[in-house]
Amino acid sequence: MSLNQHESDTPRRAPARRRRVMALSTLAVATLALSACSSSSAGSTSSTSAGAAESTVSFFSWDTQATMQPVIDGFEKANPGIKVDFSYSPPVPQYVSTLQTRLRSGTAADVFIITAENKQNLMGQKLVKDLSTEPFMSNIAQAAKDTYTKDGATYGAAIASWGGGILYNKDLLAKAGITTEPKTWSEFLADGATLKAAGITPFLEPGDGVTVTLSALLGIKNQQLGGSMDADIWAKKQTFASTWTDTLTTWSQLFSSGMETRAAAGLTGDQVMAEFEKGNVAMIGTGSWALGTIKTAAPNLNVSFAAVPGTDGTLYWCGAVSPGYAINAKAQHPVAAEKFVEYLTSKAGVALYQKQTQSITTTADFTPTLDPALTEMATAVRAGQFYLPVVSWPTHSDVLGTEATAQMQQLIAGSSTPAKFAAALDAKLASAGS
Amino acid sequence: MALSLSRSAAIPRTAPLGVPRDRRRVTAQGAPWLFLAPIMAIFVVLYAIPLGQSLWFSFTDANGYTTDMHWIGLANYAAAFKDPEMVSALWFTLAYAAITTVAITCLAIPLAVVLNTRFPGRDVVRSVFFFPAVPSIAVLGMVWGFILNPLGSGVLNSALHAVVGIGPVPWLSDPHLAQISVIVVAVWAQTGWHAILYLAYLQSIPSDYYDAATIDGAGRVRMFRSITLPLLTPAITVSQLLLMTGGLKVYDLPFTLTHGGPGFATRTVTQSLIEQGVAQADIGKASALAVLFLLLVGAIILGQMTVSRRLEARYT
Repeated sequence: MSLNQHESDTPRRAPARRRRVMALSTLAVATLALSACSSSSAGSTSSTSAGAAESTVSFFSWDTQATMQPVIDGFEKANPGIKVDFSYSPPVPQYVSTLQTRLRSGTAADVFIITAENKQNLMGQKLVKDLSTEPFMSNIAQAAKDTYTKDGATYGAAIASWGGGILYNKDLLAKAGITTEPKTWSEFLADGATLKAAGITPFLEPGDGVTVTLSALLGIKNQQLGGSMDADIWAKKQTFASTWTDTLTTWSQLFSSGMETRAAAGLTGDQVMAEFEKGNVAMIGTGSWALGTIKTAAPNLNVSFAAVPGTDGTLYWCGAVSPGYAINAKAQHPVAAEKFVEYLTSKAGVALYQKQTQSITTTADFTPTLDPALTEMATAVRAGQFYLPVVSWPTHSDVLGTEATAQMQQLIAGSSTPAKFAAALDAKLASAGS
Repeated sequence: MALSLSRSAAIPRTAPLGVPRDRRRVTAQGAPWLFLAPIMAIFVVLYAIPLGQSLWFSFTDANGYTTDMHWIGLANYAAAFKDPEMVSALWFTLAYAAITTVAITCLAIPLAVVLNTRFPGRDVVRSVFFFPAVPSIAVLGMVWGFILNPLGSGVLNSALHAVVGIGPVPWLSDPHLAQISVIVVAVWAQTGWHAILYLAYLQSIPSDYYDAATIDGAGRVRMFRSITLPLLTPAITVSQLLLMTGGLKVYDLPFTLTHGGPGFATRTVTQSLIEQGVAQADIGKASALAVLFLLLVGAIILGQMTVSRRLEARYT
């Protein structure tokens, strides 16, 4: 409209000039767009330019710089000619998204984190280097190697794992006359009834992800099936319906028996921890990472961590291998990158990392010093005796994880059934394409 | 914009006399484009190019990690209609947008009328109602998550237990209650801002109309129906457009309050787009959903604008 009006006010030669002006404007816009693109890539690669050669290694982490700095200092001291160019993004979506963008634009760091959420894309498209022949991989636990292995190649070096179980407030249990932790699922439910009768909230778990108890019960099922449950589902020898339904039925007794409130469908991990810290609940399902926070907030709580008891008396832990270190397949400093990962997985590097994070490290030549409440869990975790479906699934873990969480919330809320839950996972896997 | 362009023809008259006539003419004709260039650059770089890329990605198997992608035709569009999660997200998004638009409009107009009257502490009351618009909606979501904690120790549940003696209400754990909670918080957060918008329009209505109506014996209700409401139709158009577009692309409030749960009860289309595009690295499918959603939002907004314009033409 404005152009027409302008046209009517101008001489006949105006269209030619207007075209020139439009051409110049378009050129300016295009130049701006191109310069924006080129400047961003130049900015990202400047620190790893060819001139810097192997005197630099870039590292993209989801641990903060405060956490990683002692490890970086240790590496630079051990390798005086190499400096670490550190960058950080918080886990998980922001980290995954930033790494995606950097990989696509060819500006990803030499070394970065590989995790459950991005491993299938990174390994499947060979965006990271095969580390299986590297000497430092002999120090990595077998469960960690298995997690980041595809078609015989290992793409990540994970130095830690985490475990999850039931955290008990021993004082509240004692108040209800319970002196030992339950050894079977029936005892667990019976203890819940005893606590409830004593006016104590027995058990809580957050509903914002597949819970610790459900994961551990599925771990028992996986063990009963020889550890091949997920492989069999993906190979179409089994289905979620044939393997998960019984376990889901057992697990849903938590709600049908009244041991856990159906309000758990809307609870977050922080809310559950806050209830435990205030002494409002006797038992919670949580991971090893929560212990430090809880002990800081409520130092006088008398707590113990124990595995989830199965119906047949098998005790099992929820857990997973932590994110690993991966080398960019197009690393600009491949030699320095290898040296850096070698240091990160060495006894000295792992010791510094463990001191900063209190993680359950799993490397062969270093035994972590942990809170006594974690001793039993750490033994099982270091032996690789844990299960977490989202990490164990060979493909589509994020799609299936979102579906599993949503279905679990519906089951907790009482608006679904174990059979519908399992069927929904089968349908989701079929639509995603195994 | 048209006016400013035609006015630019006057520029040569004030140009220095020493400047050649042709150059002055070029300067005059080029000036509007010079001013338009920055906004055009921003539009092209931030909107047009990404929009074109999304359209292209929607026909491919783009995964976000590499630039290597393959043409797969309409497969992503076909998959979008089969996804029950997406259907659920679409229904909640439409319900959220429609209910918040109607509820906020019904509350904000009477509130604006009240705030337009003289009473002691009026400015403080106006500020109080406007306050929820100041903090980030994500922060409000977290605060309300604390208030609506479904356990007995939650702020609202503790108050209900102390005052009425009823047990904990699963505000964010029951699918229907969670949907209602999200919508109620959204209405609470936005009503004050829209009331201030209506207040600005109310203050532009000449008092003569009310004086004449008073002389004619019209009551308050009649004056509201026959003067205030018709003259507020331009404000209603603006407010409803903002509410509808904001409601259709909502993400932050439901996500911070419920993460889209329980189940898929409070999941929105934008959350599904972000999860599929970023977390699941399925850029192709997410782009197809975005294109479909853009068309749907465009159709809704076009319909709404048409109705609003007709109402404006009729009453103003």
